[in-house]
Amino acid sequence: MQLRSSPRASTLLLIVAAISLAAGARADGGIDLTGTLYHDSGGGLKMTVITPGLNIDGTIADALTLRAGYEADIVSGASVAVVDAPGSGVDAITGATTLNDIRHTASAGFTLHSEFAELTAGYAYGTESDYHSHGFSLSAHSELFERNTAFDISYARGFDRACALNQPRAQESVNRQRLPSSTGCFSADDRTTLHLDLSTYQGSWTQAWAPLFTTQLTLTAQILHGYQGSPYRAVWLGRSAAMENPPEDRARYAAGLGARLWLEPLHGALQLSGRVYRDTWDIKSITAEGAYEQSLSGSVRLRGRVRFYDQNAAIFFSDDYVRLPRGEYFTGDRELSSMRSMTYGLRLIYDVPPDDEGDVLGIFDGLRLVLKADLIRFDFRSFHYGRADIPNTDALMITLGLTSRF
Amino acid sequence: MVDSPSSSEPSVSQRDGAVHVRRLRLGRLAATCLAMLLLALSAGCVTVRPSDKEFLSDPSMTFGDEGAAGAHEQHVMSNREGSMGAGSVSGGGCGCN
Repeated sequence: MQLRSSPRASTLLLIVAAISLAAGARADGGIDLTGTLYHDSGGGLKMTVITPGLNIDGTIADALTLRAGYEADIVSGASVAVVDAPGSGVDAITGATTLNDIRHTASAGFTLHSEFAELTAGYAYGTESDYHSHGFSLSAHSELFERNTAFDISYARGFDRACALNQPRAQESVNRQRLPSSTGCFSADDRTTLHLDLSTYQGSWTQAWAPLFTTQLTLTAQILHGYQGSPYRAVWLGRSAAMENPPEDRARYAAGLGARLWLEPLHGALQLSGRVYRDTWDIKSITAEGAYEQSLSGSVRLRGRVRFYDQNAAIFFSDDYVRLPRGEYFTGDRELSSMRSMTYGLRLIYDVPPDDEGDVLGIFDGLRLVLKADLIRFDFRSFHYGRADIPNTDALMITLGLTSRF
Repeated sequence: MVDSPSSSEPSVSQRDGAVHVRRLRLGRLAATCLAMLLLALSAGCVTVRPSDKEFLSDPSMTFGDEGAAGAHEQHVMSNREGSMGAGSVSGGGCGCN
């Protein structure tokens, strides 16, 4: 694990120590421990991602909050390495390539508070055997009109590096071979580095319109430049297979509107949201979500929700590049095909009630348990491995979280 | 659209057309921004008194209340779908303090 011996680990430890001191000075801080399991499988293909995360924060004199976090993505599964290879279909799927990797992400940041505004800055470093990333973010929050209106703006900059096979003689994209494994990445001569730069801009407006009704409008724009495919995945092009080759530039735009309505007779909240999205790869999508959260007692809340998602294919996507080529670009990414998904979810939150002195278990100001489960059903209308449909279209996502305030 | 290099230079009429379309788009964008700004400023006319914010202060009415669980879900979905962004922003809330 590279973090253990790097200067970044020392910096992180310093920040954690500072947060501990800050929390100790004013006894105001929090620890969040959350883990998520994502799993899909079927027909020889599968993907399991376990994401444990730890976040801590501490506030000094109500003016400065320091935070630090650690998160891992433990990935294992089996996927098709060469999409649409001859004789592919069920055979290719049953002979899928296995993958195992762990991504570590360490993050740190601070927030400056005033009575009606906040300024937050953060940094995150992610590393895995074949991928490194640096992310910087800056955001501002202000409240106006007797705190009925809130505006948030944020900017994030990312610098990602991915490993690929070094192929100086392969000038054309159709001649580039996929990366067979992560062995030797960032060190061996037969490996090279692909770059991806990201800039993300976001603004939101939250408005309380009435004692029972509030809305939030969010706009996001993201500009990407660099390699945006998978160096492990190749696409069969007729005579040979080549590492997938999407365009290097992409601009993505999304607008979302959420509304929450309190239903007093039921003592619960109706939560509705919608999102429209488009990008310069000509993907357009819509997302609609409806949820209802019921307070079962003073300390237990139960939420049920349904989410619908639909998108069309990227302009350069083809289900068969031999018969229907799309110019110089090609991809085997099913997330760039026309697809839709339905998500059905339940969430249970339990706030452990305080004792007569206002403490929870004698030491905390608050203690919250979160259990969340979602079933996702994907429908890939135009993506096939040869003539075979995608077999792993059902996924389960379970989250367990424990948050304490002290 | 994916830009692809053209082998021939565009004609004058094509260039004028492109400039016209760009101006139209900029005009539409400016009008949208102005409308949103006016709408946001009009929000100042809406007043919910602090004493009336009992229900708005309920966690069920707060945007971005999912914390790390919500971040994990956004991370998964952005990897499983072709789009991203415009998720709930925390901290907006109801401003009940």
